[in-house]
Amino acid sequence: MSGSIVLNWLASTPDFAVPYALAALGLIISERAGVLSLGAEGLMLVGALAGIGAQIAIGQPAVSLVLAMLAASMVSVLFAVMVIWLRVNQVIAGLALVFFCQGLTALVGSMADWTNHATEGIGAMGLWPLSMLPGVGRLFEQNAMVWLTLPIFGAVAWFFTRTSTGLRLRAVGENPQAADAAGIRVTAWRFAAVLAGSALVGLAGAYISVVSTKLWIAGMTGGRGWIAVGLVIFARWSPWKALAGAVLFGCIEALIPQLAAAGVQLPQYFVMMTPYAVTLGVMVWVALSRRGADEEPGALGQPYVREERR
Amino acid sequence: MPNALELTGIRKSFDGFAALTEAHVSARWGEVHALLGENGAGKSSLMNIAAGLYAPEAGQLLVDDNAVRFAGPRDAAKHRIGMVHQHFKLVRPFTVAQNILLTAPPPAEFQSHGERLREIERDIRNKASELGFDIDPSKRIDALSIAEQQRVEILKVLLAGARILILDEPTAVLTDQEASRLLQTVQGLARAGAAVVLVTHKMADVKTYANRVTVMRGGRTVATLRPDEASVADLVKLTVGESIATQGFQASATSRGPVRLSVRGLRTPASPEGRRVLDGVDLELHAGEIYGLAGVGGNGQGELAGAIMGLPGEATEGEIRLEGHGDLKTMAASARRGIGIAAIPADRYGLALAGGLSVAENYAIGRVHTGRYGPVWRLRRGRIQSDTQEAVRAFDVQGVRSVAQKAALLSGGNAQKLVLAREFGKSPTLVLAHSPSRGLDVRASAEVHARLRAARDSGAAVLLISEDLDEVLQLADRVGVMTRGRIAGEFAQPADRQAIGQAMVDHG
Amino acid sequence: MAEAALAADVAHPPKTPPLAGRRYALEIRQHMAWRWQALILAAALLVGFAISAAILVAAGVPADELANEFVMQTFFDGQNFRAVLFQAAPMILVGLAGSIAFRARFWNLGLEGQMIWGAIGATTVSMWQIGPENLRLPLMFAAAIGCGLLWVLGPSWLKLKLGVNEIISTLMLNYMAANFLLHLVYGSWKDPKDNFPYSPQFRAFERLPELGAGVGSSILLAGVVALLAWWLVSVSRVGLYLRFVDANPRVAHANGVPVRRTIYGAVLLSGAMAGLAGFAVVAGQEGRLTQAFYQGYGFSGILIAFLARNNPLAATVVALLVAALFVTGRSLQVFYQVPFSMVQLIQAVIVVCVASSDFFIRHRLRRVGGEAAA
Repeated sequence: MSGSIVLNWLASTPDFAVPYALAALGLIISERAGVLSLGAEGLMLVGALAGIGAQIAIGQPAVSLVLAMLAASMVSVLFAVMVIWLRVNQVIAGLALVFFCQGLTALVGSMADWTNHATEGIGAMGLWPLSMLPGVGRLFEQNAMVWLTLPIFGAVAWFFTRTSTGLRLRAVGENPQAADAAGIRVTAWRFAAVLAGSALVGLAGAYISVVSTKLWIAGMTGGRGWIAVGLVIFARWSPWKALAGAVLFGCIEALIPQLAAAGVQLPQYFVMMTPYAVTLGVMVWVALSRRGADEEPGALGQPYVREERR
Repeated sequence: MPNALELTGIRKSFDGFAALTEAHVSARWGEVHALLGENGAGKSSLMNIAAGLYAPEAGQLLVDDNAVRFAGPRDAAKHRIGMVHQHFKLVRPFTVAQNILLTAPPPAEFQSHGERLREIERDIRNKASELGFDIDPSKRIDALSIAEQQRVEILKVLLAGARILILDEPTAVLTDQEASRLLQTVQGLARAGAAVVLVTHKMADVKTYANRVTVMRGGRTVATLRPDEASVADLVKLTVGESIATQGFQASATSRGPVRLSVRGLRTPASPEGRRVLDGVDLELHAGEIYGLAGVGGNGQGELAGAIMGLPGEATEGEIRLEGHGDLKTMAASARRGIGIAAIPADRYGLALAGGLSVAENYAIGRVHTGRYGPVWRLRRGRIQSDTQEAVRAFDVQGVRSVAQKAALLSGGNAQKLVLAREFGKSPTLVLAHSPSRGLDVRASAEVHARLRAARDSGAAVLLISEDLDEVLQLADRVGVMTRGRIAGEFAQPADRQAIGQAMVDHG
Repeated sequence: MAEAALAADVAHPPKTPPLAGRRYALEIRQHMAWRWQALILAAALLVGFAISAAILVAAGVPADELANEFVMQTFFDGQNFRAVLFQAAPMILVGLAGSIAFRARFWNLGLEGQMIWGAIGATTVSMWQIGPENLRLPLMFAAAIGCGLLWVLGPSWLKLKLGVNEIISTLMLNYMAANFLLHLVYGSWKDPKDNFPYSPQFRAFERLPELGAGVGSSILLAGVVALLAWWLVSVSRVGLYLRFVDANPRVAHANGVPVRRTIYGAVLLSGAMAGLAGFAVVAGQEGRLTQAFYQGYGFSGILIAFLARNNPLAATVVALLVAALFVTGRSLQVFYQVPFSMVQLIQAVIVVCVASSDFFIRHRLRRVGGEAAA
């Protein structure tokens, strides 16, 4: 393989990695507070649709992305009410959310006639002086959202490990009885975590539609939300490991068009299976290495009732 | 003398079950006030109300003679009430300092997280040395022993500013030595001015350490008196309500038979630090005897019981031989039930009964494998119904309006009787009873004990594992002591209680 | 030592005013009578339908036409009713498949993938002309069951042996199966006659026969499987084992229930049923292997199992209603240009309403505390 293929591949990797990274980070926030959020696939679709809708209407990418985050947060309120107040089984609620969002976005997208409506994206930004390097300089010409992802990760990681607020959130997810006895309002914190996490998941979806493909097609997330759920388990709920995993998946996805360009003949649909197969492989690997259990938030997936006797 | 904490006329029920009907208690500044009662008397529920976790349906709470109402634990903490629960409210992956940071009052001025942690670590070290023990604030909770974790809980409430301390059955998880150390520390706190409420069911602790005692029974307060003015017998009578002749040890009518169960060299895999939960257990159990295994909880009793029952993931080395069946290691749990092994696990709703299923289903599962209730393709529900009704009658299981009701609706004692009905209905050859009277009142305990004796008298081999030394001494023909995953010593009856207690704390 | 420790801490607090007001406490309810549960369920369904109706009106369906479409056209129009029965067969099968798996606490979200493989298995028998003509259909039937079962074997083994989360594993296999299907119908199995992405038509003896009056035999097949499922769950001993596994696997094992075998059995049966659903669609409705025949069945299966509380007989009834919803959805698509994703949305709304109503079955609100003493 020639060097330019490799460069093309690496240069296009961040574009594929960002949605996985942001979605995984959003899931980590809500899961660290003890709420299992299986609705990521649906929230990404909401973010994607809202982002494109805003872009078509306003044409300002930054504003569109923010509106997408808000839209995803608002939809997640339904999920939060179901699992935190009404204590619905978190798997059922998550699945219901996904299908609700799938149906809703397909409906709204077609009724508002936003399907396949091309929009303007955001330009590339060079990371000077690295972008001035010959050859590899191209790797450092990425769009603003790619660069923004890194400080976002840094902020969330810092939040969890170095602030008292982050400690409280983790307590809520590890042992809500202890947190409650310490006077922490478990319900309120979980709500906040779900809304904040969902905003990031929505941002991930909006990235795909507004920045990457610059249009909307129903169901365009294609299972990335589910892969992000697996990614969080693989990353053992640590933000930096999730970023590494996202880069891995980005590499794999970015490889596909490069191989085709290089003239390598592979059956098209088998190649499209790769992300899912890799996710499955990753889950098996995690189970085999058996180290993930320690880092799982102790109360993940369990609703909390204070006056439970026995 | 002013009352630090007072609860009067408290009423509280859980889903129709009246846990408290007319409860009151008061604690003065500078005293250790014991709250005495059997399991289920309502002591913990009452104190959970004082700590702001539950809300009473009727009655009043007063702190320093002011009426208060708590919306949650935080309100209670604001009134300087701190409770150390039976089940510690600690976040296990966090360090000691991080846990205490969660409950510490907010700093007067802005501090970074790192600074706050360091200040809290200083406070922890100071307070701990004042109280006379050693704690490393940077250690994770799951790296500490139970006694150390309890000390963290006490530090937590003291550093949060508590002057009214409530301790819920603090000595339940401690050895005799650790328990007396703890109670002495608590006495010291009271002498310095705090009000301490000690929830317990141990008369000895009440007599030794309490200034006053309030006795509760069946959800109501029965009496408040000074322990030095009453004898243990008086206290027992108040607690239990009538003088039940607690049987002393009764030797078996028949002599014991041949070896029924033989356990040799039972081991679990070593942890990364080299510790094994079961570290070479050797014991022989004869037909027609009760072997009582004493010891503080957490020394491998649960794993030994699980290995004999056939639960997955237990011992990997060693053998368990049952008379006439060879090594049980390869036999699945389902098969073991079929050859006459009856099990009464400690964890009633975790191992014995499925709370969400009906009484009939929970009963039937014991014998369904034998084909009594039909072949695999057809379940004979009529027979299940009549068998269950018969068993409920024979074993005096109360509160069963219909055998189709959910098992979780039964009270602790009746649930245990249902388990007994199921297990003993099969004329077992080996009975494994792990803490069989935990959570039961005196009457129910006596019934359970009678059943175990009856099983022994009809030739079964009974292995009784219990943390209650009194229970073991009352029932066992032979007593073994389990520490650190092995049998540390065996004693014949009548056994020397002091020697047994010594064996329980010695670490071979 | 200890005495000095607290001396500094003892301070009298200022007199605080009593905290007045009532407060509500949330309690867990142990038991609720059946009639109340049914009432709450009915109320939830009503709310769900009302919301769905509102969405439909907002999407352009005239309000007065709604009742007409949903009730009259579906159940009282002969042709539509036949379409509902056709649609109901695979619905019942995936609903049963979901119910059986969920009873074993196994979230089989791979129903669509298993359907796909069931269809592929049946089509393989047809394409390669395996077996004599009079045995062809039974062989296709067997292949469908086998393939569906095999496609869930992996995830079930992974869960029971390694603890791999089955939600993710079954879902990933869905996407992989869907891609493989496209690979086949766009590739080697593409119909040479018209180059559309579907397989060549099945021969007459490779299709499920009609029962007369235009009703397909697939519904009969589904009915038989439903009876089988009911027998398994309510009559046989395995049903008791499943109840224990669902309630508490630890307790089940400790009491001698063969937990692993029960779970494997239930999950593999679930896969087989889903594979059979695929067979019912391609050999009963479509008559060939198409690229999108499975869409919508995955969530429908989950929905049916959830609403029916995993009870086979109830699942059959719910499946019929969902089939009616699908048929109505198609006609709404034709007459009012409402996209078919509307059906998915309505399904999700109903699940949300029913799931939320469970709260009232499992909890109660209690007012506690009187007024504070003056």
